[in-house]
Amino acid sequence: MAHDLGFWILQALNALQLSMLLFLLSIGLTVIFGLMHFVNLAHGSFYALGAYFAASLAAVGGYWMGFFLAPVAVAGVGILLYSGLIKRMRKSGPMAQVLVTFGLIFVLLDVTRIVWGELALAIDVPALLSGRLSFLGVEYPTYRLFIIVLGLGIFAALAFVLGRTQIGAMIRAGVDNDAMAACLGINVERLFFIVFCVGCALAGLSGAVAAPLLSVAPDMGLQILIPTLIVIVIGGLGSLKGAVAGSLIYGFVQTFGAVLAPGLASVLIYALLAAVLVIKPVGLFPAKG
Amino acid sequence: MFRHTALRYTALVLLAAGALFQAFTAEYFGLEILTEILILAMLVLALDIVAGFGGMVSLCHGALMGVGAYAFAILSTKAGIAPPVAMAGAVALTGGIGWIIGAICSRSHGIYFIMATLAFGQMAYSYVFEAPIFGGDDGLGGISRLDLSIIGVDLNDSRSFALFCLAVLGAIYGASVLILRSGPGRSLSGVMHNEQRMRALGLTVWRVKADVFGLSGMIAGVAGALAAQHILYISPALLSWTVSGEALVVVILGGLGTLVGPLVGAAAFVVLKHELSAVTTYWHLVVGLLLIAVVMSRANGLFGWVEARWGARIERRMADATRKQQPEEVLSDA
Repeated sequence: MAHDLGFWILQALNALQLSMLLFLLSIGLTVIFGLMHFVNLAHGSFYALGAYFAASLAAVGGYWMGFFLAPVAVAGVGILLYSGLIKRMRKSGPMAQVLVTFGLIFVLLDVTRIVWGELALAIDVPALLSGRLSFLGVEYPTYRLFIIVLGLGIFAALAFVLGRTQIGAMIRAGVDNDAMAACLGINVERLFFIVFCVGCALAGLSGAVAAPLLSVAPDMGLQILIPTLIVIVIGGLGSLKGAVAGSLIYGFVQTFGAVLAPGLASVLIYALLAAVLVIKPVGLFPAKG
Repeated sequence: MFRHTALRYTALVLLAAGALFQAFTAEYFGLEILTEILILAMLVLALDIVAGFGGMVSLCHGALMGVGAYAFAILSTKAGIAPPVAMAGAVALTGGIGWIIGAICSRSHGIYFIMATLAFGQMAYSYVFEAPIFGGDDGLGGISRLDLSIIGVDLNDSRSFALFCLAVLGAIYGASVLILRSGPGRSLSGVMHNEQRMRALGLTVWRVKADVFGLSGMIAGVAGALAAQHILYISPALLSWTVSGEALVVVILGGLGTLVGPLVGAAAFVVLKHELSAVTTYWHLVVGLLLIAVVMSRANGLFGWVEARWGARIERRMADATRKQQPEEVLSDA
């Protein structure tokens, strides 16, 4: 079994699917981080909110309604929090930001428990994407392939926007040197607001996409937070390349680690993170040289 | 450098008196809560030494405490070593691990330091969770408390155990003050304020950071060994990063870098937790809102706020005094 090519393809697809889910989450966080040096620990809570919104909307109008509207709803929550709280924390140090967003995790965790209850919710895979596809000689669930394609699609779109459009150039300039970008007439504050909303929407989207795979439980945001932070720290803050590289490294190390060395799988990824931090303290592909 | 002010002495005396009063009057449940506060207080003292006086905001102190608890449990139950020796071994081990983490992370700053310590903490958590010797998710039981029958104390009695923990906390507080006043402690404060200048003065910065982090780890190890003896059962949840996060919350709520503040914070946090969880299951919501309010108010926690008010009052009084003096000086000059 373990020497069968199909088995390895299957594991590679699993790893890729995990990577893409993490990529959707980490890209928003990393650009918020890189653009404004803002540490948002509550990003995982946005992911949980996305999953809950998707579950509720799916119960009303089917899966696709949840898929399209959950990111919008999460972005709405993001806007509320931004104007009420985060805007005022922009100038304080990373320590204060970590603590405020840590408090926010507690608050959002209990708010989801109050609104949706303790029990885990489940939503079904849409009919269009249920079943399995034969791919490279292995049978693979269509829905997981859909996640991989979606992740790659979003990656391509973001690479295009960040690399080829004017707003992308402005964001890159802001990440590189925000004071200089502001001097050149770029409204960095507004840019940050847009990036923050898109980041929240992507977190909501990944929650909505992950909902049919995992059960939707209040602590799902806490559980995904650490992997997401590992991804962006390994990859380096603020860069698309870093987020992709970090997600792929995490996905493959985690999946293949679980297959090859089950006892060491979870230690492996933390050891890797520690090694990266010791050798390259700012991550593999930091946005700033 | 850490200094005792009149206000800090007053707070310490009040805290000690409150703890003693509670220890002698409370029933079983009150004693359990007191012991919980005392053990949490040890952990937050350890965290305040590195975070408040060295700028090393660590998210692995919960894990260090867990390592202390597991080391004590394994050494005393599975290896069959006498509990006092096992406790010393556990403290030495956590100190060593703390030293290594401090040495490795000494080059990182700010959010990277937080992440690096988080990574080490999670590494310990996953290892304990998965290695069969530690009992995995089921945890370990069958732990026994220290045997102090030589001096006529039976620690299996909750009152004696609470008093014992109070005595240990007192010793740890004294040790923390000594650490902060020692050479490495003073150097660490210097490093926090200006690392480059300290380096230019010829200080081996990583060494100072590692030394103090190791000492802080030893304190966390004591807290862990006592936590294991308190509940007599340990599980990997003890090493979870949320424990470290909560310890950090306590330090912040109490007052970072005041040493007395975190003690106040520990008492307030545990009491608040028990009072709130009796009323509502959503006590995290209240703690979260409180944390946000404290951080946004820009006060340095509860005790820091009191200190700032106190300092402002004294300053105002001094200003009044000088204003009264000035006319006389003018007269004498003329």
